[in-house]
Amino acid sequence: MGDGDRNNLTPDVGELVDQYRSARLSRRRFMGRMTALGFSVPAAASILAACGDDDDSPSVDEPDEPDETEVPPSEPVAMEPIQGGTLREGYNRDVSPHDPLTTNWYDPAFFAIYEAIMSNDPNGSDVPQFASDFSVSDDGLEYRFTIPDGKLSHSGGTIDAAKVAEFYRTVQQESFVAGLAAPVDTYEADGNQVVMKMKNPWIGALGPHKTGYWRIINIDTWKQARGDGGESTYGTESADGTGPFTHEAWEPGSRVLVKRWDDYPGSQTPFFENKGPAYLDAIEWTVITEAGQRATQIENGDIDTLINPAHQDIERLESNSDLTVTRYPEWSGFMLTMNRDYPELFGDRETRQGLSHALDREGMVNAILAGNGAATYGPFPTTDRNYEPAVEEFNRFDVDLANKRLDDAGWTGGDSVRERNGTAFSFEYIVEDESVQVSVAEAVAEQFRTIGVQANLAVRDRAVVFEDQSGEGREAAAMSGFFWLWPIPLDVLILFSGSGFIPVPNFSHAVEPRIDAAIAAWQQSATAAEAQAAASEFQLAWAEELPYLSIMNQNATFVKNNRVHGWQPFVWNLYPYYNDTWIEG
Amino acid sequence: MPTDPEAARYLREWDDRLQDYEDRQRITAVRQLLRRMGRNRLLLIGTVLGFVVLFLGLFGPVISGVDYRTQSFRNIHRPPFSEGHLLGTDELGRDIAIRLFIGIRVSLLVAAGVTTLALVAGVLLGMTGGWTGGWTDRAVRGGVDFVWGFPLILVAVLFAGGLGEGLFPVILAVGLVNTAAIARVVRGEVLVLKQREFIEAAHAAGVSTVRIMGRHVVPNILAPTMVLASYYVAVAVVAEAALSFVGLGAQPPLPSLGRMVSDGRNFLRVNHWEATIPGLAIVMLVLSVSLIGDGLRDVFDPRLRHEAKGVEE
Repeated sequence: MGDGDRNNLTPDVGELVDQYRSARLSRRRFMGRMTALGFSVPAAASILAACGDDDDSPSVDEPDEPDETEVPPSEPVAMEPIQGGTLREGYNRDVSPHDPLTTNWYDPAFFAIYEAIMSNDPNGSDVPQFASDFSVSDDGLEYRFTIPDGKLSHSGGTIDAAKVAEFYRTVQQESFVAGLAAPVDTYEADGNQVVMKMKNPWIGALGPHKTGYWRIINIDTWKQARGDGGESTYGTESADGTGPFTHEAWEPGSRVLVKRWDDYPGSQTPFFENKGPAYLDAIEWTVITEAGQRATQIENGDIDTLINPAHQDIERLESNSDLTVTRYPEWSGFMLTMNRDYPELFGDRETRQGLSHALDREGMVNAILAGNGAATYGPFPTTDRNYEPAVEEFNRFDVDLANKRLDDAGWTGGDSVRERNGTAFSFEYIVEDESVQVSVAEAVAEQFRTIGVQANLAVRDRAVVFEDQSGEGREAAAMSGFFWLWPIPLDVLILFSGSGFIPVPNFSHAVEPRIDAAIAAWQQSATAAEAQAAASEFQLAWAEELPYLSIMNQNATFVKNNRVHGWQPFVWNLYPYYNDTWIEG
Repeated sequence: MPTDPEAARYLREWDDRLQDYEDRQRITAVRQLLRRMGRNRLLLIGTVLGFVVLFLGLFGPVISGVDYRTQSFRNIHRPPFSEGHLLGTDELGRDIAIRLFIGIRVSLLVAAGVTTLALVAGVLLGMTGGWTGGWTDRAVRGGVDFVWGFPLILVAVLFAGGLGEGLFPVILAVGLVNTAAIARVVRGEVLVLKQREFIEAAHAAGVSTVRIMGRHVVPNILAPTMVLASYYVAVAVVAEAALSFVGLGAQPPLPSLGRMVSDGRNFLRVNHWEATIPGLAIVMLVLSVSLIGDGLRDVFDPRLRHEAKGVEE
C-alpha cells in the first residue's frame, strides 16, 4: 500500500495502518479494530494485505496481546451475526424513483435492490459483483463478463448474459447519462458471457458500470411497466432487481422500505462476508431534509444509521460512545456557474480569475462545513485517484489580486459596483433553497461585494432551480450555484464542461478548446499513464480557464449506532452495501 | 331668520351656548378617551414595547453603524456579549444585532404595507358592498369568501410563483387575505348602520350619500376597524416571519426575523441564540401589537371590557 493509497483511507483507518506498519499493533488487534470500524473481515484482510506481506509484516506478535477472552464483549468481531430486525436509516436527501434507466439520481436503496456487474472493493479495486469474473482483451477493445447460472430477479425471471446485454443496450438508448460510457460500442451475449466492445481502448470503461445507472434490472419487467409509452410505475410502485432486498414502498419526501429477498441466489462479491440472503428483515430509509434534525434522531434512537448529518453536529456525534462516525472526502463539489451567454460579464478569463481570487475557500470550509471538507482550486476532490495537486497554484484567495485582475479587465469603480463599457457588474445569482447552498451563496455574494461585484441572490425551490439554471441562452441566470455528487468525478465533470453538452449539463455554456482536447484524450486513454496525463491536463485547464468556479468539497459522513454491524461505507462507493449488515439484540 | 332683533339675538346666544356645549362634550369625550387610554395597562405596556421595537427598527442600524452583510469567517457562532458583538454572530460571522434591527425594520415595513393595503381596500370594499347591496354586495361577499377559502400560505405561494420571491409578493398575499377580513367586518357594520335612525334622518334631510358615508358611516366604523387593523398587524408580522421561514419572503442577504429563525434552527446545539434572539423579537413585536389592539378595543368599546369583567366575575 503506497502513501498515496493510504491517504485515500479514512483518518481512523489510516491511523490503524500507520500503527500496524510501525509494529504498534498486532495483526489480530488490527483486524479487531477494523471490524469495529464497520469493515468486514475480508475487507480488513485486504487492507492488511495491501499494507505488506502478511508473513513479513513487522507487526508485533502475540506476547503483548490480550487473549481472546480479554477482548471486551462488545467487540463485534467476537459476535455472530443475528438474523432479523429492520435497519432504520436516516437519509439527507429526498428519494428518487428506483429506476436506474430514468432516474436523475440514485439513493442508498439502489445498493440493496440492485447489483452492478462490477463493484469497487474497500481498496478501490475492481471486483466482480453480479458477474463471477471478467477479462479484458490485450488491445483493450473487448471486455468479457461471466454471468453465473441460476441468477434471478425478484420476480423470478432468469437474468442471464443475454438479459444483461439487452439491459445495457437499453441504457445506451434510454439513459440520460449514457454519454458517460460513450467509448463503448456494443453489448452482446456470447454464451454465459456479456461481451462489451469498445470503439477505442479506454481505461475508464468499467467506471460507469459500477454506478447506480448501470445496476442490473430485469429489462422485461421494465418494458412491461412502461407499456405503450404511457406513464411507467417502474421504480415507484415496483422494481425488479437482483439485489438481496425487494422494493416494498417508495414515498417521496418521507420514506423507502425494502424487505429481504429470501430466494436471493447469492453474491460473488469477494469482500462480502455473507454470500447468501441478507441478515436483516428489512431496511427503512427516512428522509430527513432538516439538517439539524438528523443528528438528534440518531441520538434519540429513532434511527440506527445516518447518512450525512449536519456538519456542525459531527463533532458532537463523534464524542458519543454509542455511535461510530465514518467520514472521508466525498465525490462531490460546490460550484459556481458563470453563464457565458453573458459575455459582457464573464466572457474573458481575466474577469473570471478576478472573481475566483476573491473567494476565501478555506474560510468557507471552516465556517460553512465546520471544517468537514476541503477547499477545491480545481475541479476534482483531493481524494480522487487522478487528482492533480498543481491546481492549488491557481485561484488562491487574494483580494488585491482579484481587484487587479478586474482592473486589468477594464472594470472600473471598485468602491461601489464596477462598470465596463457602460455595463454594471451586477447580475442575478440563483441558488437552491438548501441551507448549505444558501450559506455558500451568501458568503460568495458578500465576497464579491468587497471587489465591487454585485450578485443579487434569488433562492429557488428545488423543483424549479434546475430549469432556472439550465435554460437555453439568456433564459438561464447569469450565475448559479450548484452541488454535484457523483462516483466518478472526471466523467461527470466532462458533462459539465464539454462543449458537446451545451445547454445541459454544461450549465455555463462554456466552450474551452483546451478542456475539450483533454476530454478527448481522457476518453481515448488506454493506459493509466495516458489517463493521468489527460486528467491532469483537464484539471489544469479547468483551474486556469475557469468554466466554473470550484469552491469546496465536503466529506461524506456516515454514522451508525454501535449495535449495527457489517455496515461498511467506504470511500470508493457512494453508499454502503447491506448484505453483511445485522443488528445486535 | 326672525326679523325681531331680540329674537335674533336670543337665537344667536342659543346657538353659541349650543356650540359651547358641543365643544365641551367633544373635549370631554377626548379627555375621557385619553384618560381611559392612560389607565389601560395593556395599552401602555404595548405602546412602550412598540416604541422600543420601533426605535430598534428605525435607529438600531444607524446607531450600530455596521453593515448587516459584513461577514467574518473567524468569528462564527459567537454568543451574546462577545467582543464587538452585543448579540453574538451567526454562521457566517455576521453581527446578529444589526441583522436583528434590519429584520425588525423589514417586519415593520411589511406590516405597514399589509395594513395600509388591507385598510384602504378592505374599508372601500366593505362599505361599497354593505351600502349598495344587490349584486355588488354579492360580488364583495363572494370575493371575500373565496379569498378566505384558501390558506394564507397557499395564496402566498401563488403570488410568489407569479411575481417571484421577495417582500412585495408577501405584502400582496398577506394584504389580500387581510383585506378580505377587514372588508367582511366593515360590510357587517355598514349593514347595521344603514338601518340606524340618524342615517335615515340624514337621508330625509337630503344629505348626499358621499357626505353620509364620510360624516356618519366612516366615524362609526373607525373604532372597530382600527381595533381589527391592530390585530391584523400582528397577523402580518407572523405571516411575514412564517413565509420568510419557508423561503418565500425576504431574500438573502437581507435579513428577516423568520429567515433568521430558519437559519438559526440548524445551530440550536451550537449557538441557540441565533434562533432564539430573532424568535424573541417576533414575540416582542407581536405582543406589543396585540396588547395595543386589546387596549384599543377596551378603550373604544367599553361594553366588551365590561362583558369581559362580567365573565371574570
